[in-house]
Amino acid sequence: MKFSFTEDQRMFAAGLKDLLANECTPEHVREAWEDHTGHIPQLWARLADMGVLSILVPESAGGMGGNFVDAILLFQELGRAGVPGPVLEHMAVAAPALAKTSWGPSLVDGSQIATLWVDNSPYVAHAQVANLVLRNDSVITGFSSSDAHGIDGGRQLFTISGGTESAASAQVFGLAASDVMALASAAYLIGASERMIEVAAEYARQREQFGKPIGSFQAVKHLMSDALLKVEFAKAPTYRAAWSASTGAATAVRDISMAKALASEAAYRASRSTMQVHGGIGYTWEADLQLWMKKSWALMRAYGDATFHRRRVGASVLSK
Amino acid sequence: MDLNETSEESAFRAEARAWLEANVPASPLPSFDTEEGFAQHRVWEKKLYDGRWSAVSWPVEYGGRDADYIKWLIFEEEYYRAGAPGRVNQNGIFLLGPTIMEVGTEEQKAKFLPSMASSEIVWGQAWSEPNAGSDLAGIRSKATRDGDDWILNGQKIWASRAVWADWCFGIFRTDPTADRHRGLTFILCPLDLPGITVRPIAQLDGDTGFAEIFFDDVRVPVANTLGEENKGWNVAMATAGFERGVSLRSPARFSEAVNRLIHLWRTYADPTDTALSDAVTDVWMQAEGYRLHTYQTVTGMLEGRPIGAEASLNKIFWSEMDVRIHEIALQILGPEAERMEGPFERWVDGFLFSLSGPIYAGTNEIQRNIIADRVLQLPKGM
Repeated sequence: MKFSFTEDQRMFAAGLKDLLANECTPEHVREAWEDHTGHIPQLWARLADMGVLSILVPESAGGMGGNFVDAILLFQELGRAGVPGPVLEHMAVAAPALAKTSWGPSLVDGSQIATLWVDNSPYVAHAQVANLVLRNDSVITGFSSSDAHGIDGGRQLFTISGGTESAASAQVFGLAASDVMALASAAYLIGASERMIEVAAEYARQREQFGKPIGSFQAVKHLMSDALLKVEFAKAPTYRAAWSASTGAATAVRDISMAKALASEAAYRASRSTMQVHGGIGYTWEADLQLWMKKSWALMRAYGDATFHRRRVGASVLSK
Repeated sequence: MDLNETSEESAFRAEARAWLEANVPASPLPSFDTEEGFAQHRVWEKKLYDGRWSAVSWPVEYGGRDADYIKWLIFEEEYYRAGAPGRVNQNGIFLLGPTIMEVGTEEQKAKFLPSMASSEIVWGQAWSEPNAGSDLAGIRSKATRDGDDWILNGQKIWASRAVWADWCFGIFRTDPTADRHRGLTFILCPLDLPGITVRPIAQLDGDTGFAEIFFDDVRVPVANTLGEENKGWNVAMATAGFERGVSLRSPARFSEAVNRLIHLWRTYADPTDTALSDAVTDVWMQAEGYRLHTYQTVTGMLEGRPIGAEASLNKIFWSEMDVRIHEIALQILGPEAERMEGPFERWVDGFLFSLSGPIYAGTNEIQRNIIADRVLQLPKGM
């Protein structure tokens, strides 16, 4: 029993964190929101170069040959930076699922962009910047998209119509696309939550009222500590789910659901508490906090919300 | 990452399971917070010790098995699975013992550890005072040097197990001129010395699980000082950190309680009540999350990343989870939840006990302050 990441896994995540600190600042994210693409092309190319986009693609297909344990800290770092665009959909599902098809090479090098259309939603996120949309058992190209106005500018929502469908499988490591996305989103939400807490803690150190930094008040300390508590206790279940998903464990789907339920609730709590700590400025367009709050509010509901996933866990553990 | 047990770990689990199945008393012992129960638990501890199961993570020379933390967790899982008795000497084995190993002299280790492992000496703890609870640094009980002895004077309160324990450990003010956290010394003291009065305090459940201890010119050798003189605060914090960290409430305790809760739910609850089944699922996830979190923490400790202020997160998490588990059980029990005795008394007792969790070992509000100050780096201040 060894519940930790290897030095290589940690170093890769640290390298991605460094890259994102320069290439995916709040200013970059805002630009992607404001030009209505929800996508940063330069960053996309860097993620391809670094091997992030192909982390789950077998080496035989030109990828990094990793599994979900290798990828989970990367998802978390992407969330910490609030990376906009179809990065999770592309790297967690489309690239590995289509690796051995004719689309494979262009998904590995990032020259084509893929997104997903999962069964439980009428909407396709990121359709406008995607060259192809992967469904359960088909790939759609040449579609037209119509803006459905998502809350998160980095995860723009569309309905799509038309296009050409061809048969394909959206399974990764034997798991359905929506389950893989639930896992990736859980880790992304943890990263986003950590960032919201970090931003709010910094604000609480600076902002003074009654002649003191507001972070010195117990009411503020306790809001922040409770937010951190939920995030910290969502981490180990998310890492375990990555391990279960990578090893074909019988409990993989249950473990993913546990992770997504806990991470969704942790992210929501973090968004509420950190906005409250910001006070009035937290309710403005100007405050960067909204970049992670809105991402959280989008992803906590996408790919099954906390209630859906909790009930799936319940169905597994309460049945005789 | 490999979340499968090694063959060595599995063999250890099998050995523990076999021993426990053969040795755990068939019917539960009376509470160790009664005189009769205390004596029976001491006998049980001796049996554990003779099987070398009382302190598995301790070195072999002191009665342990040199088991690493992962194996300690495995042992705990088997212990709770077997329904084995509560640990009457947990103050000693899980709190003081590791502290002695860290800061004690070789003489102290040889003197105190084996008798602790066998529970020949059962330890009570004496931290709090009437005016030093959450504000523990406000300790006023004094130790005054007289030759090779300390003379202890003052009053301790909420001293758990102290009613029937043999020795106690606590911190005393040795330099009255120093600042609050300085000038304190960690001292070990027998409870049968002249000048000591132990006054039991009835808890919410009626048992006397803790006591007041009055010290009136009590003379103990200076050799009973643990760690450096006037550095008792640091020694105490090492103990308290370990207590809040992993040792005080191992995950198995809650996994076992949640398994009982699920059994209760299956037997008595309306399965179409989704609010209730969601609540049961939620505490299952909490217990499982705590288990996973602990395995991660312990792997980190084995790889040289010691636990720090994050220990405070654990303490809040398990204590609130424990209350929640019992609240849900009482909800399922309905009218039966009003009875202190009867087939479900363990749940009602457990509920009362769970309410002490957010208070003892540093209230959860103090833990939140610690997290805010040391993990989130928020400015100090009240």
